[in-house]
Amino acid sequence: MTTSDVRAALLSADPRLSKFSPLKRILAFDDFDSGTHGWCELLGNYNGRGDLSTVDAHMRDFRPPQLSACNFFDIGTHGALSGTYALKLATRPYKGHTAVAIRRLTMSGRGLVQLETYFAFKSEATLGGGPELDTFGDVQWDGNTHPSEAQFGAFTVATDLCGDGGLRYHTVARYQNTDLDNRFTRQWVAPTVPEPTPREHFEGKVKLEYAADFTAPNPEDWKPFGEPQELCYNEVPTKVNWHYLRWLVDTDARRNVELQVNDRVMDMRDVPVPPYEERYETLENLLNFYFSVRTHSAVRNFLFLDSVLISVDW
Amino acid sequence: MRQSMTAVLERDTEFQKDFETEPYEVAWAGEARWFVQHVGGDGTARYVTQVSPDGITWCDLDGDEHVAAPGALVSWPASGFGHWLRLRAVVEGTAVVRIHLAVKA
Repeated sequence: MTTSDVRAALLSADPRLSKFSPLKRILAFDDFDSGTHGWCELLGNYNGRGDLSTVDAHMRDFRPPQLSACNFFDIGTHGALSGTYALKLATRPYKGHTAVAIRRLTMSGRGLVQLETYFAFKSEATLGGGPELDTFGDVQWDGNTHPSEAQFGAFTVATDLCGDGGLRYHTVARYQNTDLDNRFTRQWVAPTVPEPTPREHFEGKVKLEYAADFTAPNPEDWKPFGEPQELCYNEVPTKVNWHYLRWLVDTDARRNVELQVNDRVMDMRDVPVPPYEERYETLENLLNFYFSVRTHSAVRNFLFLDSVLISVDW
Repeated sequence: MRQSMTAVLERDTEFQKDFETEPYEVAWAGEARWFVQHVGGDGTARYVTQVSPDGITWCDLDGDEHVAAPGALVSWPASGFGHWLRLRAVVEGTAVVRIHLAVKA
């Protein structure tokens, strides 16, 4: 029996880890039954006096993540995939609003980095109102399909990476459920431009408004990859079905590698990863991950994460 | 070791009218404490803790009002809550508000 056989046997015998396929070194295993594990709210930068009015308008209200038992009005506590709690990101009920949770690490090597999670996405239930609420976007309620599915905008998994003398870049994968007109697209997309930064605002180059898309504000800067993918919303806003996501990037080549979502594996090697033109100080070996959820309607959107595992081959 | 968490539900937000904070889910917590700070503006506001069974429908927890004046930091505990917490606020004038919710298992 080889060392890798022993390792595989140990992983497969552990119910916490057997649902993942980690690379050889696990950097983080975040089971949200035991806290938030460093997934915290993202906030833009501010001046030396702690004056939060100096934070960019589009980066000052990304909302604190919550430990959620997935409680709903109709059935009470749903619970998570494992145990009771999931990490929940919740937007405000304001079109364009985004909630973000970020996890901050640094790199002790270069090579493959893999993030795995089990996630679910939902819109908030609507209670009351008239029959006009049975229609939204592409959906007319028919006993199966539910208008709340068209009230969900997009969720994103991304990195913020820097090294090699201050070269900074993001790898990004976004599931766009609907466009800004609330029509289904169900398409994976990635940005072709780097994320706007507080320094660009400080230097007067960019000023984005509240609820602007902070990852890439111009919808034309997002390009599809892979084929459209229908995920499991399961009809109403209060049924939680967990999806598997595995995302592999290469910090040696500064590239995406592949994204797996349930049974679909998408080759991302040709998805561009545009770096910042200028070099960055104080970010050496930066290895950040974030999840975000963005509503395209005036309805709160939620992203639930049962657990997250980050592993590397170095 | 007890679990604890601090959420910043409003971050120097300016209000000129009544408001409620976003719903916050605290099923795991046994106790909570609000910290409300008026970091700007010349107005005052009266705050009441609210609870909810679902994050959608709300009622007052105890009816106790807590008044914050310009420059003040006001704090009070909440206990015996359900799985959701928020504040409702009655605002007079203009208030720039920072609200922390500190929760512990």
